[in-house]
Amino acid sequence: MPGPLEGVRVFDLTLWMVGPWASTQLGALGADVIHIEQPSIDPRTLGAGVPPTIDGTSIGYMTWNQNKRGLFLDLKSAADRQTAYELLQTCDVFLINMRPGAAERMGVGYEQVKAVNPDIIYTAITGWGEVGPMRDKPGADVQAQYFTGFWSVSGAEGGRPEVYRHMAQIDATTGNVAAQAVLMGLLARKRTGKGQRIHVGMLRASMALQSGRISEYLSTGDLHQPQGSAAYAAAPDQAFQCQWGDWIGVSVSSEDEWQRFAAVMRKSEAEAEGINDLAADPRWRTNRERVNRRKELAALLQAGFLQRPRHYWMLRLSAAGIPCGYPIPFETLQHHAQSIENQYLREVETSGWGPVWTGGAPWELSRTPSRWFGACLPGEHTGEILDELAARRSVVDEPTPVIGD
Amino acid sequence: MPGPLAGYRVVEIAEGVAGPHTTRSLADAGADVVKIEPPHGDRSRGWAPSIGGDDGDDSPLFREMNRNKRGIVLDWRSGEDVETARRLLAQTDVAVVDKFGLPAELRWEALHSPGLIYCAISGFGPKGPWADRPASEIGTQMASEATSSLGSIGEPPVRHGSDIGSVFAANNAIQAICAALYARDDSDPANPTGGQRVEVSLFGSLIAMRSTLWVALSNPDEWWGFHLDSYVKPPDHGYQCRDLPIYFSLARIRGEFFDSMIDELGMEWARDHPDYDKLRTDGAGGAGRYAAELKPLWERGFANHDAERVIEIVEHHGGWAFPMHDYERLCQDPQVEAVGAVIDVEQGDGTVMQQIAPPWDFEGTPVSMTMRPAPGLGQHQDEVLAELAARS
Repeated sequence: MPGPLEGVRVFDLTLWMVGPWASTQLGALGADVIHIEQPSIDPRTLGAGVPPTIDGTSIGYMTWNQNKRGLFLDLKSAADRQTAYELLQTCDVFLINMRPGAAERMGVGYEQVKAVNPDIIYTAITGWGEVGPMRDKPGADVQAQYFTGFWSVSGAEGGRPEVYRHMAQIDATTGNVAAQAVLMGLLARKRTGKGQRIHVGMLRASMALQSGRISEYLSTGDLHQPQGSAAYAAAPDQAFQCQWGDWIGVSVSSEDEWQRFAAVMRKSEAEAEGINDLAADPRWRTNRERVNRRKELAALLQAGFLQRPRHYWMLRLSAAGIPCGYPIPFETLQHHAQSIENQYLREVETSGWGPVWTGGAPWELSRTPSRWFGACLPGEHTGEILDELAARRSVVDEPTPVIGD
Repeated sequence: MPGPLAGYRVVEIAEGVAGPHTTRSLADAGADVVKIEPPHGDRSRGWAPSIGGDDGDDSPLFREMNRNKRGIVLDWRSGEDVETARRLLAQTDVAVVDKFGLPAELRWEALHSPGLIYCAISGFGPKGPWADRPASEIGTQMASEATSSLGSIGEPPVRHGSDIGSVFAANNAIQAICAALYARDDSDPANPTGGQRVEVSLFGSLIAMRSTLWVALSNPDEWWGFHLDSYVKPPDHGYQCRDLPIYFSLARIRGEFFDSMIDELGMEWARDHPDYDKLRTDGAGGAGRYAAELKPLWERGFANHDAERVIEIVEHHGGWAFPMHDYERLCQDPQVEAVGAVIDVEQGDGTVMQQIAPPWDFEGTPVSMTMRPAPGLGQHQDEVLAELAARS
């Protein structure tokens, strides 16, 4: 069964992570994504040269260009630009992540592309937006994390806020948001019959990611202070250390769950003051009262958790329907039934670098399943794609448009 | 309603963040969303803090996640209410459910609705030994090892304070729902066919977002780079200046500019330092190979200037530097104002709440920035049930 975007073709003029991650999603959903690289590309600069490399190529390129075909086009050359226009006539989506004005200089601004294909869903991705004093500044994950406060709500209890050290989460979020926008554009076209121009920026994507926390600040004027593993909104909702020293994460986020949690603690017969009588204790009557006295409650519960092994708590809490979990390192995760059976982690073949591990599709669609395949070499499918265009030329009696600069 | 999803109907049976964020986005994009709550309401109404006021006791997060929706209350202990929900689901384009206590009659297998896109959001995914475990941020952040990019080895775990697992799942759910709607056959608009079930989880979404790590761990040529050493580096608080922290990169600075930047920062003493060549060549910031060991040198220099001045000096010499905003400074930043990221949403009691704008600009089918407030508990009961009766 083909994927949901079977028949949709994407002109993928993207680089680094944000744009390529958006089109990786569209490719997984079944679109024919044609990823453009300049033929003069220095292989060491692929994927922004983000370390580490595998056989000399950045793992960034390898991760962000899965589920695509590769095409070399030099948009500075008049001949290749004509090929681009011819290809664009066959495309549904145009995707670019470059600074404002770059597309126009390459002859692929919206007006230029629209003249070739008025039905196109033209999606431009920027760092900071298309207006404002920062519109021309470079934007990548690190800058977006710092600027948008993504770093400001994490950190050890009582310590300073700290940066999330895997610097790809805002890039990937913006890529996901851009893929959403493309899909919504395609849905609108299904109804209206019309293409349109869409813009997505990292700044607003990152703020939308954090909209719950930011709205709390906007309502109260209070800035969140780091509190380790503990949630801001509910309590108890944090990690506790168990008998053999390992950690369990436990979340109680409704009054109903609190009653069930209290019953588990009572049955555990752990010997800690107040642990057997949580449900009746007036200090913990509502979630907001528990949040207000979070540290007091956590200290009491921690004394209880230390008296039984983690496995005990996982069994008892899961049986009571209380959300819980524990840290799993990569070497275990990559063979864990939960990640393998859902294909969340998988090994794929790549064209140039052998088999690599990667995250898989985060969705399961029952009728039109998605797919996942490894990164292509830059320009790998140039011959094949040009042959397809030539074959089309022989049956479609339509002049290739000539667009001036 | 304007927006790219105008005309689509959505029913939500979900609480907290993941499901409500999904349908809030669909509602922002123009879909007609009906939220079904249990008699005691979505749990997140009672989360901290409280907005107080005459209009109820909701949390700001609830108001943010549920704007532009209509709300009704149904009680699964009542057979009649379950039947009402079943009929609502049978007549909608999209259902978004989380799995907390959903009656069997409302599961995908029981509905037999040929055009329905039924999106189930779970903690750990539809298959595997943990398929039935309920979802939470800390449980899934830990299980996907997302917490290993924060805190220190041997110290208590640190979560990401934004609800990243839930919002990543929501972002994926939105994609999958829209893709499934695209694949649906709407040639008979009154009777669409080709619906399907879509499954998304917090665990799977958190893993997908760390894909660079898994590729990096496959067989790296060299063991370095933030994808690998994010596990072992110490907590990173940025580069403290006299007043505030900043972040910066020198990747684009040429040699002579570097020396002059060092002088302008008043760091002449660094020229004689044994690590001066590392300072010149390393990327600085979290991406730098020697960032942690070089940081004290930079902070010694930056301590004499305010952040604004350091940013100015670094940028003047061809590097880039950014302020590290907290939410207060973020929301006051001129760029945030210029792109309209913070919007006013008038509430039912006439007060105005500031919320966060949706992240997309559609030039052909623009999204209305005049938002409707989140519903009171059961606020649209009569209206929604009357519409249902009229359609039946």
